[in-house]
Amino acid sequence: MLTIENCRLTWPDFTADYSLTIDEGTLCAVAGPSGGGKTTLLHMIAGFETPECGRLTYRGRNLLPLPPSQRPVAIVFQDHNLFPHLSVAENVALGLRPSLRLSAAEMTAVLEMLDAVGLRSYDRRKPGDMSGGQRQRVALARALISGRPLIVLDEPFSSLDPQLRRDMIRLVDTLRRKRNVTVIMSIHTPEDVADVAEQMVLIIDGKVAVNGSPAKVVSCIYDRGSSAKPTS
Amino acid sequence: MRLRQLHLGDATTFAIVALVACGFVSLLRIGDGGTTLISIGPYLQRVLIFSFVQAGLSTLLSLGLGIALALALARRQFPGKEALLTFLGTTMVIPTIVAVFAVLAVYGRNGWVAQSLKSLGWTGSISIFGYPGILIAHVFLNAPFVAKVTLDGLNLVPAEQWRLATSLGFSSGQIFRHLDWPALRADLPGLAILVFLLCFKSFAIVLALGGGPSRATLEVAIYEALKVDLDFARAAWLALLQVAICVIIALALHGVVSRPPAATTFRGPMQRVDAADYRLKILDSVILLFGLLFLGPLALSVLVGLGSIPDILDLDLVGALMTSLTIAAIAGSLACSLALAIGAAVRHHRIAQASPRWAALLDLVPSALLAIPPFALTAGLFLLIRPWIDQARIGLILLPVVNGLGALPFAYRYIAPRLMQAEERYGRLSESLGMRGLARLKIVDWPMVQRPLASAFALTAALSFGDFGIIALFGGPKLRTLPYLLYERLGAYRFEEASALGLIILTVAFLLAQVSSRLSHAHD
Repeated sequence: MLTIENCRLTWPDFTADYSLTIDEGTLCAVAGPSGGGKTTLLHMIAGFETPECGRLTYRGRNLLPLPPSQRPVAIVFQDHNLFPHLSVAENVALGLRPSLRLSAAEMTAVLEMLDAVGLRSYDRRKPGDMSGGQRQRVALARALISGRPLIVLDEPFSSLDPQLRRDMIRLVDTLRRKRNVTVIMSIHTPEDVADVAEQMVLIIDGKVAVNGSPAKVVSCIYDRGSSAKPTS
Repeated sequence: MRLRQLHLGDATTFAIVALVACGFVSLLRIGDGGTTLISIGPYLQRVLIFSFVQAGLSTLLSLGLGIALALALARRQFPGKEALLTFLGTTMVIPTIVAVFAVLAVYGRNGWVAQSLKSLGWTGSISIFGYPGILIAHVFLNAPFVAKVTLDGLNLVPAEQWRLATSLGFSSGQIFRHLDWPALRADLPGLAILVFLLCFKSFAIVLALGGGPSRATLEVAIYEALKVDLDFARAAWLALLQVAICVIIALALHGVVSRPPAATTFRGPMQRVDAADYRLKILDSVILLFGLLFLGPLALSVLVGLGSIPDILDLDLVGALMTSLTIAAIAGSLACSLALAIGAAVRHHRIAQASPRWAALLDLVPSALLAIPPFALTAGLFLLIRPWIDQARIGLILLPVVNGLGALPFAYRYIAPRLMQAEERYGRLSESLGMRGLARLKIVDWPMVQRPLASAFALTAALSFGDFGIIALFGGPKLRTLPYLLYERLGAYRFEEASALGLIILTVAFLLAQVSSRLSHAHD
């Protein structure tokens, strides 16, 4: 279980204060208006933002003193996930070994992971030769192959068209069930994940406004009126 | 076939090409026809070998020091870093004649280094003339420029990739391999060719620090042919050869320059994870210390002139200052007007006329001007207009014209992209509203172009203000610019007065460059 207790971050023009628990093996969607603090929450979990106070624990272990590379967290961003000078296979392999000196077994694992995301035949291609959806699948493959039990996805599919976005979310759901990982994903359109997420959190003004099932959060979003209404 | 609509910028481009062509033709016609490239074979071979070797070595050293400085600056935060970056950003306008003075003041026979060694009991003598002086001056002028450009490139690495590197636990070597090197590699070919081109065409530095006729670049050889030997045909042939070499290099530059798209995800300066590596801390300290010891004294040498300014406050100074400012203002205005006209023509042909090839050809003209040797062009134009214009005034006419043409490529790079941007953003809207001519210029183009135009004017005026090029042909008691006055004082070994003049030139050029930089970074 991931537990966040009163983690507070302050900037001159913005204050965030999070308290939240996420169960092992679930898909937790993080929704909310732009600038509301979704990315800050994810970056805090991944180790890129440090709270002034509070506790962040995973399976009882305090994550706050750990640098990002030692946390049990792999991250996928909206853009710039891949290194353009490396091939697809090399980009995935970075999740196993940043030195890229792979054993035969590790190389096989990389190809199997590419197979799992439907890109087995793209292993030698460069990211520049692929579509946006394919690039995000490569990034997802790298996050999964790292073996870290928490996968943080920071609006990973926002730039994709609605159909492709839903396909990608289904792929994430399938893979996380197979590998038994916990996925925390920020989203723009809560409806996209309503049928796959077990938990949804609505973040407004740096605070958890609603936490519960997707149905509950979606109905709250619409009850709150147009200012908090999600956009597609 | 549809007739292509002629734009004012087309006429401007034709006029520039015709002016350059007429200059060369008149130079070749006035020559006796006896001189060919073959007849000056051994001399030419020596000049070419020297030009290529000094430019190659200068490029290697400038890139080496510049890239090392950029990496060290990217990794380190320290007090005064902003001031240092400002200095790096304005070294492009350091006049070459001031760089010559700085090298002599620090490394010359009676320079700071020699005096320090003498005070330690050393009895030998230092000679800076030849390769050492030329290389030091070129590296002094170019390494900071390389550092600034590569540092800008390193800062374009997207924030997400830095976070990924942190998350994946990259080592310092892996950070260099996957983040720094791809960013550097995008800039390196273009930078290497640009620095090579600048050093290959070097004039004032080689003339003053070459140490004799055996060390001449093509530009110096053209100057000597015109000023010393009055061999116009030789000058013309050498000029054509230089144009050919520079065009080949410039075309290569046009082809290889590429940069990954800029990232827009920065919220603030990224803390590099490799900054904590103690081995890199030591390496960066050594690099920054070396950079400081190499660049610092050269930059500071001019400040010594502060005390000598009262000694040079005379009519010569006021006259030279006014002449320099006038020439700089006219050259800057000319460069900006030409850039505006050509930029508008390129936009017109690319978008309204859908003639991308013609637009690309026009687009090449400003860059191609970098290849034209100013001495040959000036001499040709001098011979062309001499029958009609008072010879005492020819210099005053040709100086701003040739300086303006020389500064056109820089002005064009500031102005043309903004004109295109205005079209991309508001072109269709303007068309739909029926906005044309002056109304469109006032409402659509001017708001977007005024800042880059002012910025380009300040930069080109700064470049012209400090230029010690063709004034070497026309300079004398009747026509003096500040750089020429500095050259005279250096020749007369009046170093204190030279340092004061260098300080004035540098101050004005830096102020103009600062204005240009602030305008170019200001928001619309």
